[in-house]
Amino acid sequence: MVIGLGNPVRADDSVGLAVIRELREQLTGTEGVELVELWAGGLRLVEAMVGFDRAVVVDAMCTGQVAPGTFRRLALGDLGATRTTTCSHDTSLPTALEMWKRMEAPVPEDLTIWGIEIQDTETFSEGLSNPVARAVPRVAAAILAELHGSRGA
Amino acid sequence: MKTVTIDPITRLEGHGRIEIFLDDAGNVANVYFQVPELRGFEQFCKGRPVEDMPVITNRICGVCPEAHHMAATKALDDLFQVEPPPAAKKVRELFYMSFYVTDHATHFYVLGGPDFIVGPDAPPAERNILGVIGKVGLETGKQVIACRARNHEIIRQLGGRAIHPTAGVPGGWSRSITPELRGEIETVARQNVDFARFSLKAFADLVLANPAYRDLILSDVYLHRTYSMGTVDAANQLNFYDGLIRVVDPEGEETLKYPCREYTQHIAERVEPWTYLKFPYLKKVGWKGFVDGKESGVYMATPLSRLNASDRLATPLANEEFEKFYATFGSQRVKGRYQPVHHRLATHWARLIEMLYAAERMLELAQDPEITSPEVRRIPSGAINPAGGIGSVEAPRGTLTHHYEADSRGLVTRANLIVGTTNNYAPIVMSLKRAAEKMIHGGQVIEEGLLNRIEMGFRLYDPCFSCATHALPGQMPLTVNLRDARGELVRTLRRG
Repeated sequence: MVIGLGNPVRADDSVGLAVIRELREQLTGTEGVELVELWAGGLRLVEAMVGFDRAVVVDAMCTGQVAPGTFRRLALGDLGATRTTTCSHDTSLPTALEMWKRMEAPVPEDLTIWGIEIQDTETFSEGLSNPVARAVPRVAAAILAELHGSRGA
Repeated sequence: MKTVTIDPITRLEGHGRIEIFLDDAGNVANVYFQVPELRGFEQFCKGRPVEDMPVITNRICGVCPEAHHMAATKALDDLFQVEPPPAAKKVRELFYMSFYVTDHATHFYVLGGPDFIVGPDAPPAERNILGVIGKVGLETGKQVIACRARNHEIIRQLGGRAIHPTAGVPGGWSRSITPELRGEIETVARQNVDFARFSLKAFADLVLANPAYRDLILSDVYLHRTYSMGTVDAANQLNFYDGLIRVVDPEGEETLKYPCREYTQHIAERVEPWTYLKFPYLKKVGWKGFVDGKESGVYMATPLSRLNASDRLATPLANEEFEKFYATFGSQRVKGRYQPVHHRLATHWARLIEMLYAAERMLELAQDPEITSPEVRRIPSGAINPAGGIGSVEAPRGTLTHHYEADSRGLVTRANLIVGTTNNYAPIVMSLKRAAEKMIHGGQVIEEGLLNRIEMGFRLYDPCFSCATHALPGQMPLTVNLRDARGELVRTLRRG
């Protein structure tokens, strides 16, 4: 399963959704891969991936340390999440995942996260800024390559 | 693999920042809580067909889209001057109650509850849903998950989509309820009632029965005697979906009761030079600064204020809890209402009482013979009210108002929203100041304690400033800057 996270009306925040749309064009009809656009993290994110073996999450990131449009492949531990409840409305992804695991619910064992550095989330807009828009096909290609790699293996 | 460090400090522009100024003696002089500006919302809406607003505004936030969808749909009823048929109103309210149950349950178990169930002084790494499950058992965790899942399914079936609903249309709702679906909804509503009762019992056993927590709630920590706002029906009972907006003063005397259409006559917005977000206040009373009392126009719009503004609750079990709630605080009924409770930590308890009310109301509506009526839409004539359309609901986080104007072609010319949290901006600043004053004396700061206290003061309002901004790492960082009397930065406390 590939999940794109973002807010469709908050400019660069929607980059995860744009990647899903890009993938949808290339993966239509492919069996065994589900593409999902999601608008909220935390519990919603884990609820979306219950029952899948493998999940790929695509989201905006805002480190301020790399140029907009830069993307990184991350693992759960790279999130720097502190397992506190300071997330705005429910909880962090690692905490939510741990919750489902304790319930012995089938959450994906294999989870990767693609973060794309963004620059603007404070303008109401459906468009992406140029450097972020340029990253969309490249991230989609990287995810496709990984999916094909593992399917071929 | 490359590791990326994600430092919340870099995301401050996108989130709130708290600035604490000390006086010469090192005590708290002032506290500022800055909220970032979200640019261009009105510009974004202008020129769009106004009937698109319920599906556009519900994207402002991934957490409470149902509330935006409902307020927007009601604003369209008003704009197109069309009264939905009775069954449509019931279906809308039923949908909205299901949302309330899941939203309030999530807040209690995942966000607010850990402070009480795990403990306010527990290490932050334990003060979360995992800590709650550790205390109350896996079964409760399963119940939280099941509650969310069953209500999300009802929301999906009634609203047309799992997260951002689409079914609200001017004059009604785009789908009616089949007898089969009604049966499913009734089952879910019964489970919701049971779970809400279970949650209130857990609150009584784990929080109220524990002298330390009980004292914390009853103490003057975060006690602010402000005005209280809530929506009530014709019998002055709380209603989330529709009614008149009622405001009671700190003693419980009714100050205002008005239809949302008149909001601009009663609510003004204060601009402060240090933040983009405006501070709403009661025009009639006036702005006196960040102070409480009858002379200050600051009001709150929260689960606690909604109970304060109601004479009673319309459903039997929730009303029993309502009585218990005021009895615990020793409130007396004066002119039909209980004297308001001002202990802000009691908001958590009030939220659970509201959850029970929503569950019971959902069950009532599911059993209403009219709920399966196919008459769920009245087609508008096409005429547009030149005065614009205004709609409001009680969002879980406060009274939510949508206001649109459109030209003769039905294209948006003006859009204004007052979102739930905005109502509470001034009270939140006051609670933060209280926390800082309690924890900083003569410049001595208890670091972890200050962060905890600030978080607790914050969390009870469940603020939605970060609506929609959930770029990685998906948490709201908390940064507090301490400055001396000359404004020099003396220390930064940070969590993220």
